[in-house]
Amino acid sequence: MAKAEEYKMFQGCTIGNRIPFIEASARKVFEKLGIKTSEAPFACCPDPVGFNSVDHFSWLAMGARNLTIAEEEGKDIISLCNGCSQTLKVVNHELKHDDSLKSKINEVLKKINREFKGTINVKHFLEVLHEVGAEEIKKHIVKDLSGLKVACHTGCHYSRPSEILQVDDPMEPKKLREVVAATGAIPVDYEEEMLCCGAGVGNTEEAPSMQILANKLKSAIDAGAEAFVVICPACFQQLDTNQKKAGAQSNNTFNIPILYLTELLALSFGINPDEIGLKFHRAKLTPLLEKLGLK
Amino acid sequence: MVVIDYELKKKIMDVHIKDALKFCYQCNRCTDNCPISSIAPIRYDPRMLILASFLGFKERIFDSEDNFRLWGCTVCDTCDEVCPQKIELTEIFAILKNMSVAMGQGPPYYTTQATAIYENGKAIPSQPAIERRREQLGLPKIEPPNVEEVQKILNQTKLNKIIGK
Repeated sequence: MAKAEEYKMFQGCTIGNRIPFIEASARKVFEKLGIKTSEAPFACCPDPVGFNSVDHFSWLAMGARNLTIAEEEGKDIISLCNGCSQTLKVVNHELKHDDSLKSKINEVLKKINREFKGTINVKHFLEVLHEVGAEEIKKHIVKDLSGLKVACHTGCHYSRPSEILQVDDPMEPKKLREVVAATGAIPVDYEEEMLCCGAGVGNTEEAPSMQILANKLKSAIDAGAEAFVVICPACFQQLDTNQKKAGAQSNNTFNIPILYLTELLALSFGINPDEIGLKFHRAKLTPLLEKLGLK
Repeated sequence: MVVIDYELKKKIMDVHIKDALKFCYQCNRCTDNCPISSIAPIRYDPRMLILASFLGFKERIFDSEDNFRLWGCTVCDTCDEVCPQKIELTEIFAILKNMSVAMGQGPPYYTTQATAIYENGKAIPSQPAIERRREQLGLPKIEPPNVEEVQKILNQTKLNKIIGK
């Protein structure tokens, strides 16, 4: 079981303010598994791809400020997003291990009467689910997903830089596959499993971003995947909303459902698809739900 | 003629990266494993970026005609993982990108996002339609961040100057 009594929920900007249906599935799954969370007025993590590219020091200061909010309550953070978890973990690590940097940041935080102390930890929700463990997860499964072939996509910022994050094998991650397998679904082996979703470069130019996405989708579909399982909202949006564009650019037609890990678990726990807003997905889930006898 | 920028070289060598850069022996593993180099090999090459940073070849990094040379990086951190010398390439690229933004060469997305964070405390601000959807989904209200605190620290770090606020 999870060690912490209660986590501070860090849903992040994208899930909280753009695709909240993912948060709905996470909260339902956490409730079933006894993972307790509470709210806090966190600001943007901030984005390790965007904001860190604009000003590294500002990124550290903003990340540190968020950490002090959780420190006030002495509670660890649970993040629903790769980007938020990478930012908060890296900032936490850098400041815990570099006293001179810590004092520079605390000099800034003094202006708002805050101080980074380094007293809490940050966890990606997959780590917490993995700690809960397959055995406990299996106790809640009412809908066996045996035979469903899925492509696992952890995304880049879940485990890298591995020297700091140390959550999983950065080139051959295991935890997502293990949690997925607990539902009976089969993680397929596909050549481009470790390929980035391409969202990052999409901020600069669309064509290479769509090319990467097309390569990723094609590789998984060729390997027999019927759906993707993801753990990052940026990857989710890239995979869910851009299939048409990626197809047009690469002379393919893509139409593969994208499930957040918490959505896959919610379905296997017998939670009604309407309760978790699956209708808001762009790549339609209806054929998959019908096949599974859930619609 | 190649112009060597010693300021750039010093900054890259001194700041943040604890001198790891000097151990690069140009083995090309970063570029061999880069998903962008594999689809756009001429336009984006992390090994060349590292070499140019090491030598202070400013023009090879900051190309006003094609910022893809630097901003083609998709921040997947794969190069960091495969580097036999444990050079954190992505961290170096972040510093280069900070310089590029300061020169006004960054893609608009980045300063737009930074402005949203400065103004709202969030990269994606809350909207009434999403608040209604959250309610329909039975989700709690998101506690709003203290924007005044965010702006105080971002003024202190001079982000306001970078984004023209």
